[in-house]
Amino acid sequence: MLKKLWVLLSLVLVTTMLVGCGGGGAGGKLKVGMVTDMGGVDDKSFNATSWKGVQRAIDELGIDGSYLESKQQTDYATNLAQYVNQEADLIITVGFLLADDTADFASRYPDTNFAIVDFGSLGDNVRGLTFSTDEAGFLAGYAAAAATKTGKVATFGGINIPTVAIFMVGYEYGVNYYNQQHGTNVEVLGWETAANDGVFVGNFESTDDGRRVAETFMNEGADVIMPVAGPVGLGTAQAVKERGNAWVIGVDTDWTVSAAEYKDVILTSVLKNMDVAVFDTIKAVQADDFAGFNGENYVGTLANDGVGIAPIASGAVPAGISDELEQIKADIIAGKINTGWAEYSASLE
Amino acid sequence: MPPVLELKGITKRFPGVLANDHIDLTLEEGKVLALLGENGAGKSTLMNVLYGLYTPDEGEIFVRGQKVDIHGPGDAIALGIGMVHQHFMLVPVLTVTENVMLGMESIKNKLFLDREVAAKRIHEISEQYGLDVDPYAMVGDLPVGIQQRVEIIKLLYRQADILILDEPTAVLTPQEVHGLFQVIRSLLAKGKSIIFISHKLKEVLEISDSIVVLRGGRIAGSALPQESNERSLASLMVGREVILTVAKEKAQPKEPVLEVKNLRVMGEGAHVVVRDVSFDVRAGEIVGVAGVQGNGQTELVESLTGLRPAQGGAVRLLGKDVTHASPRVITEAGTSHVPEDRQRDGLVLSYPIADNLIMNTYYLPPIARGVVLQEAAIKERAERLVAEYDVRTPSIMTPVGSLSGGNQQKVIVARELSRPDQLVIASQPTRGLDVGSIEYIHSQLIRKRDEGAAVLVVSAELDEILSLADRIVVMFEGRIMDIVPIEKATREDIGLLMAGIHPDEHGADVVATKEAA
Amino acid sequence: MSEKNTTQGKAQKRRSRGRWRALLTPLMAIVTALILGAVVIVVTDTSVYDAFGEGFGAGLLRIVEVVVTAYGSFFAGAFGDPARMVRGLSTWITTGDGSDWVQSLYPLTETLRYATPYIFAGLAVALGFRGGLFNIGAEGQYFIAGLTTVFVGYSLTGVPWFIHVPLALLAGILGGAAWGAIPGYLKAKTGAHEVINTIMLNYISFRLAEYMLDVGGPMARGDGRPVSPVIQPSAQLTQFFPSNPNIRFNVGFFIALLAAVFVYWLLFKTTIGYEIRTVGQNPRAAKYAGMNVPRTVVLTMALSGGLAGLAASHDILGVIGFMPNSFSSGYGFDAIALALLGNSHPFGVVLSSLLFGALQAGARNMQAIARVPLDLTDILQGLIIIFIAAPAIIRALYRLRTPDEGEGAVMTRGWGQL
Repeated sequence: MLKKLWVLLSLVLVTTMLVGCGGGGAGGKLKVGMVTDMGGVDDKSFNATSWKGVQRAIDELGIDGSYLESKQQTDYATNLAQYVNQEADLIITVGFLLADDTADFASRYPDTNFAIVDFGSLGDNVRGLTFSTDEAGFLAGYAAAAATKTGKVATFGGINIPTVAIFMVGYEYGVNYYNQQHGTNVEVLGWETAANDGVFVGNFESTDDGRRVAETFMNEGADVIMPVAGPVGLGTAQAVKERGNAWVIGVDTDWTVSAAEYKDVILTSVLKNMDVAVFDTIKAVQADDFAGFNGENYVGTLANDGVGIAPIASGAVPAGISDELEQIKADIIAGKINTGWAEYSASLE
Repeated sequence: MPPVLELKGITKRFPGVLANDHIDLTLEEGKVLALLGENGAGKSTLMNVLYGLYTPDEGEIFVRGQKVDIHGPGDAIALGIGMVHQHFMLVPVLTVTENVMLGMESIKNKLFLDREVAAKRIHEISEQYGLDVDPYAMVGDLPVGIQQRVEIIKLLYRQADILILDEPTAVLTPQEVHGLFQVIRSLLAKGKSIIFISHKLKEVLEISDSIVVLRGGRIAGSALPQESNERSLASLMVGREVILTVAKEKAQPKEPVLEVKNLRVMGEGAHVVVRDVSFDVRAGEIVGVAGVQGNGQTELVESLTGLRPAQGGAVRLLGKDVTHASPRVITEAGTSHVPEDRQRDGLVLSYPIADNLIMNTYYLPPIARGVVLQEAAIKERAERLVAEYDVRTPSIMTPVGSLSGGNQQKVIVARELSRPDQLVIASQPTRGLDVGSIEYIHSQLIRKRDEGAAVLVVSAELDEILSLADRIVVMFEGRIMDIVPIEKATREDIGLLMAGIHPDEHGADVVATKEAA
Repeated sequence: MSEKNTTQGKAQKRRSRGRWRALLTPLMAIVTALILGAVVIVVTDTSVYDAFGEGFGAGLLRIVEVVVTAYGSFFAGAFGDPARMVRGLSTWITTGDGSDWVQSLYPLTETLRYATPYIFAGLAVALGFRGGLFNIGAEGQYFIAGLTTVFVGYSLTGVPWFIHVPLALLAGILGGAAWGAIPGYLKAKTGAHEVINTIMLNYISFRLAEYMLDVGGPMARGDGRPVSPVIQPSAQLTQFFPSNPNIRFNVGFFIALLAAVFVYWLLFKTTIGYEIRTVGQNPRAAKYAGMNVPRTVVLTMALSGGLAGLAASHDILGVIGFMPNSFSSGYGFDAIALALLGNSHPFGVVLSSLLFGALQAGARNMQAIARVPLDLTDILQGLIIIFIAAPAIIRALYRLRTPDEGEGAVMTRGWGQL
């Protein structure tokens, strides 16, 4: 029994060793590789959204796209090296934690194109994909102020970093703008731009934390909550759904689609269309028109639909509000309304 | 009429060991069959076969003439075979009734335990056999002797008529042993049959109708008590002539080595368990501490060796105050300590013999140089001590845990008595050991005495104290009842002192003293 | 006398044969895990179902293809491709260009690099086990050591590497040791169980790292990201293949091997190790023997923490070059498995770490080539641990003989003792 097994095993080993290093290029197709951060590709957040952009490019542009997941900090370089060795034409890294490794590889492989989600440029062959989510957050804040019955709306974040806080900045400014326009006095719990401080749960994983914070906010009278913390927000949605009488604002993607089980309590979602940014970037590389080569980055705004908000739940806000939001959007694009970015940047200094 | 139980050619092998080699036994109804043998002679294996815990490789078992297969304790109980283990299987926080019912609860209304019915039955059994047990007492509150009776009631409640008693006297005072024997006699009178497992010759001779001696897994011989004596049984057990009385000269006590003054020690749970104890041990004498287990001896020794803090009083070692000294200071001041529980305190079972032999000298030259252990020195010491102290082992690298109890104790004795110490404290030095090992350890302790060391021996075995000690300290409930020179000591008097009674008082005071405490 | 000698000789021979047999069970555990892993790969691969749609033969063919591709890339990722190594070597000899040869070694170096922190962390837990302590806090000690090591790594300037590197390593050791000593002290002085306290200290260390590294925190780099500054070049561990920066195999691996030898020496050849083991096996006997049990407990935990700290030092000084707030790696928890797998013996830990290192490196290549998710490593690791923890399964499966009794695994005592 044992002997046979050994023979079989060594046979399998030898064949696998021989075959193992095969796997050539896909011939002619643009080869795009995406490296996720530790959240993994099914994080229902920015890794997933970015991957959606690659998938769309596979369908519409006929490229050869794939991803590699990372489980720890040291995996980023391992995965980048994999794609470099496979001679990928474009390597997309997701998240600012990959910035150091992306910069290192970009400098060592000047002929490869890189793009990094949520970080500015790191060199001539790197396109930074960033988003003015304060603009979209502003619209969400305005809608929240219109929807509240208690006069208190809330938000919280995962970790206090700019890509998270910027949602909350816009949200606060949007609420204040509503107060100014309608003479109301809606209060924002959980964030204060001037102090650069607010409520942060300290992670992007614990749905329990999301539930706990939501319950605290609801006990304090808030009836709209915007969790900017990836999957943590699902705990918030669950708590709100159980309690009723309150709304959740989704972030990154349209939660009525990505978290459909909580559809009833979702007021709207702040869309950070990373898939659009990723798709645009792939398209640009395919057309040999990579803006990153000139150190020019992609900035998602309301103007280029890189950010936006999802349709507002019907009946949640008074009739005229959607028209007002259209007008505000136009004003933001035109630069007539301040969404708080400047003040926030100043507070970081 | 066929015998009530008959074993024919029972053979049980374990890898590398022949634990039982064609054992034949016959138990007649209403009789006591004593099974005598050293540790490791195969007594427990044989009883586990009978109780269904092991399946024999060969051999047959007949109960009342019928050939039976016993596949587990359930089968054994169904055949009327019951066993009282050396370590009781009782739940201390349950009452006698609840303990007895465990496993075969009477149920009323399909749901509730019917304690009344069970209690009534227990009361009947208790009356019938003169057991005198209160069905509603909490087992944890009962003295050990009564707990043993609860175990017996458990068997009778299950209608056992073949009772196996495994070392039943190991935990009893002489008076309790006497009580147990009365119970056994009343059981026999009611037609029960008993297998009595022991290595205590005196008891076997007293209670049994026939004796079978096991040695090395085989039957070494059988005997009838009226035709035997301790010496003949002991040589059957050990396989050679054994000197039962310890040969020793009269002590030549010199200056006091250990002086204990008004020592107070707390036990677990913050009770004072050693109360104002004063005595001394002189160079060249053996002082024996007699007492039923649990009367403060354990804590006394722990305190003397630095393992347990003293609450009051003073301990002086060679004139130096060591009342609050650490174990290491006390050891270095010249104390050897053979601990009460060798496996728990005295050995690391997974270590080889060699490593166990350096336990309190591992940091001293020549065993260590700086922090580095000197393997050659460790090995040399181990080889020497194993030879000198007759430790039976395949190698000095054998884990101590795989040695027999006697050889484990010899490892400790070798380690402790090989140091040139002036004080030797030995607690239960021969507990659970076979005759050969006991003989050896006694001779070593006397050698130490004759070399001029002060020796303190604590033992629950009265025979051991009587044969070793030059003076006897009797402890009861934490106090010293009396200190008796060996010339004036009798078994009966010491036994009474152990039970808290001064021999000159009347026997009726037993209860009074107990309650006063 | 001579008879005694021959019995001893036989016993020894039996023991050494037993040792080989002892290796057979883990080996078969690995093989069995790989077989079950193959089943998982096959049933989760939709192309297999598609192929079966075309016909039974096509389905079977596809199964073989899937498994061969997956494990082919797995072994190639863990050990390298022999053909490529030979080619690289001949190019080097004939043309003097060694870059292909170096590149062909990349998989092997990845295995060793992944194994390095595993060795440190595994030694940490194993040492704790030997001392009767269950150090679940290796992860937290890793975090604190990360902070101390990276601080010395980036803040100290103008010192030569032969001073800077040892200092940064020492900082890691001390950081981990201090963090390990806390639950040790609590256990020794109050009897508080180290399992609870190390878990609690894990959380504290995560939050402390967050505080130090978050934007605006005392150790943040100041570019709007929760990461520390990059260490000085003088603090970097020596890389063996500077010509190929993708290869991050560094001197840390050999430091880990040295650490294993040191732990072996300490445990089995010194009085300190004797005290640690005695306290671990039987604290009452240790007290009886006059050992200072509380001090030994604190020392064991500190040493354990220091070893866990070196895992962080390796990752920062040898691989990443800075510390992100999401430094978590799971080493602290894998280390428990490594220590169990290695029977708490330093050399056993090295072997099991190499195995886990190979699993990690192989899985990354398998993900890249065969598109098998990284999570398969967790499944494989889990299966291997189950089979090794319950060897009866493996023995029943392959009808192996039961090994001699008496060589029990070293584990900690139950709760609340000491």
